[in-house]
Amino acid sequence: MYLWLIAAGLTIVFGVLRILNFAHGVFYMLGGYATFTLYGMLGLNFWLSLVLSLISVALLGGLIERLFLRQVYNLELPYQLILTYAFILIFDDLAKMIWGPMFKIPPVPSALSGTVSVLGRAFPVYNLFIIGTGIAVAIGLWLILGRTWWGKTIRAAVSEREMASALGINIPMLFLTVFMFGTAVAALGGALSVPTRVVTPGVGMLMIVEAFVVTVIGGLGNLKGAFIGALIVGMLTSYGIMFIPILQLFTMYAIMAIVLLIRPQGIFGR
Amino acid sequence: MAKLKETFKLKPVYLFLTALAIFLLALPQFGGRYLTYIVIHVMLLSLLGLSVNLLLGYTGLLSFGQAAFCASGAYGCAKILLAMDSPSLLAGVFGGLLIAGAVALVIGFLCVRHTDIYFAMLTLCFGMMIYSLALKWRSMTGGDDGLVGIPRAPLEIPGLFSINMSPMENYYYFVLIMTGIAIFLFYRLVNSPFGLSLQSIRDSESRTAFTGIPVRTYRLIAFVIAGLYAGLAGVLLPPLENTVTPPIAHWSYSGEGVIVALLGGIYTFTGPIVGALLFFVIKDVIMRFTEYWLFWLGIIVLALVLGLRGGVVGAIQRKFLPKMTL
Amino acid sequence: MAELLRVEGLTKRFGEFTAVSRVSLEFQKGILTSIIGPNGAGKTTLINLITGSLHPDEGRIFFNGEDITRLPTDKRVKKGISRSFQVMNIFPRLTVFKNVMLPVLARLGKSMRPFSRLEDHPDALAEVERILKGVGLWERKDSIVGELSHGDQRLLEMSIAVASEPEICFLDEPTSGMNPIERVKVLELVKKMAADGRTTFVIVEHDMDVVFSLSERIIVMARGEVLADGNPAEIKENQQVRDVYLGEEL
Repeated sequence: MYLWLIAAGLTIVFGVLRILNFAHGVFYMLGGYATFTLYGMLGLNFWLSLVLSLISVALLGGLIERLFLRQVYNLELPYQLILTYAFILIFDDLAKMIWGPMFKIPPVPSALSGTVSVLGRAFPVYNLFIIGTGIAVAIGLWLILGRTWWGKTIRAAVSEREMASALGINIPMLFLTVFMFGTAVAALGGALSVPTRVVTPGVGMLMIVEAFVVTVIGGLGNLKGAFIGALIVGMLTSYGIMFIPILQLFTMYAIMAIVLLIRPQGIFGR
Repeated sequence: MAKLKETFKLKPVYLFLTALAIFLLALPQFGGRYLTYIVIHVMLLSLLGLSVNLLLGYTGLLSFGQAAFCASGAYGCAKILLAMDSPSLLAGVFGGLLIAGAVALVIGFLCVRHTDIYFAMLTLCFGMMIYSLALKWRSMTGGDDGLVGIPRAPLEIPGLFSINMSPMENYYYFVLIMTGIAIFLFYRLVNSPFGLSLQSIRDSESRTAFTGIPVRTYRLIAFVIAGLYAGLAGVLLPPLENTVTPPIAHWSYSGEGVIVALLGGIYTFTGPIVGALLFFVIKDVIMRFTEYWLFWLGIIVLALVLGLRGGVVGAIQRKFLPKMTL
Repeated sequence: MAELLRVEGLTKRFGEFTAVSRVSLEFQKGILTSIIGPNGAGKTTLINLITGSLHPDEGRIFFNGEDITRLPTDKRVKKGISRSFQVMNIFPRLTVFKNVMLPVLARLGKSMRPFSRLEDHPDALAEVERILKGVGLWERKDSIVGELSHGDQRLLEMSIAVASEPEICFLDEPTSGMNPIERVKVLELVKKMAADGRTTFVIVEHDMDVVFSLSERIIVMARGEVLADGNPAEIKENQQVRDVYLGEEL
């Protein structure tokens, strides 16, 4: 599910801005660190920490878009990728500097702790919560894109780039809000992950390539595809590890390569 | 007489190159073992940078997977050297190069039919596939731990001569010669008709097709050559370090190659070489103050992309030598 | 007269929209032809189909009797077809000299040579000099193309097209964006090049003066179809053509 959240953000950003944000995993990481700091270290309420983390990371994302991303929209692809790659370097080390190595995992908030019996096995409530949130985000996105004015603008921008500005849509503002939104979604993933796993500096780098795989398989810019792609990859990763550990990593990339070669629009792309 | 004089005109470039050559040749004598070791690494990184730039600056293709060919060369060389009863350096080097080239041919064939972002991602993909092989295929590559005990085999041609490579100094000269040859060949290549063809493909793929050039084929050739250069950067590594480990195949190492090319200037010839040098200098300088040198590297790269797009060499070119292509 | 290029029933659709509809034409060697028609008539699409930038949905293309419908662009160029582009398509980072050197080298079969220097090919050098002097760009040969005026860039655009010494060359709106003086220059140039008979020119144009003074044959296209096809006098009298141009002075 975490993968889905990152991939969703990545997909939206790519769909509208046409920038493949290498550094998207960074926002996931920052979301995690923020929540960890607020909830784990300062002991604030879990929900409050979540919200504050999302807002702060989204703001950071906005800053980055405004100050940096904006300059490279018209440059060639290599510069865009390198710019975002630079952010990975910067924030990974920044995280190391500020938070240092940490191994505490804060407890699951009491409202969501405990287990539930699912199909005869004990299933942590928190995991259900995560899955639920993931689905909620998916439904939310579907609603937003389908029903709201903002969502429709996004869809217009995705399918008819040149027309969009001709239609009087405020492109810079749109880009800014979309990027912040994508950032927030990724941060949500990171924030939610805090009670279950350790937040480490390298996590952004790890997840981004997987998120790429998901996005490609699902189709660049295609949210439904990203969701299903995330499910597939997520399951492959979890179960693959159990059955064919040696091939798991390889297979993931192989699938991505095959999709790129045969059907670059992804399985669900147009 | 006038013609003779012109041939031997002391162009500043030749002066500079001669001085550089003397410096490099004398280095082990006054520089000490560690500096020699570092300079070898600078040379290897510059080969990787040239590999990236052949594709990026000259052909307009961004590859995030050159590390894969580096690794193919490195592991190939290592396996050969480990398998031989009396290991020969040249066997390892050329065998590894062959393997790197073959891998580049296969991967390239699949990748060049796509462009731009799809090409970048495909190379990233294949690169990581090689990485996962290096990491997980214990029986072949030693997995996590990699291959160890690789001998620094003597440089020999059976029946003719055999030079012991154990002293760092000797190996340094070997790498220096190989790199020198490689750079010279690169120079001839990019200034040749083929080089011009690549640049036109970069500038306008469609127009190039209209001059009768099969674009995809030329791209593939460029890809294989670039693979060989990355492979060279790889094969020279195992005898130096006596080990090969998976990180050499990771996309972040490919990223290093891209940064190095960008640092120096992707539309220049010497860019990647200067970039490699700067990379090590920056790393060294920053590391004296803090262990978080990647942070500063990121900042520098950021500044480069935003402000100094031509890279260091590009900037120098614009300011001081506008007519010269460095 | 030798039939150089023939298209049969060429059709191209983009979704619901038919850009080119069952076009059949023959081009004879040495006859300077113009293709005219309102915007969206399918002229550029037709060129794209003939040169291989697009694949037809229906129809076939024959060059010198050979079916080239399935050939990729670069192979068609090698057979002797070339074009210039309506939207400038030159090599932006290269010098004027290199822009023309490339197609010349390609024509001479030398574009794959990896180790010689450009200066080592006197035959190519001479050729480039001849072409550039012909359009008056030889003095600017070391300029990066971005520094050239629009008119000069257009001349360069044309030079690249003829550098491959094609048997048939399609010029897509070669005077687009030029001032009257530059237009005359292009006119004279095309006349001169057509005169020696090696290349047959087919020009897509909007400027009627150019069209009527140059062409021996005019093809009128509208809505993806060939509306009229004949010599300038016939076209001038053709009522359908006049309708299409809504009473413009032909």
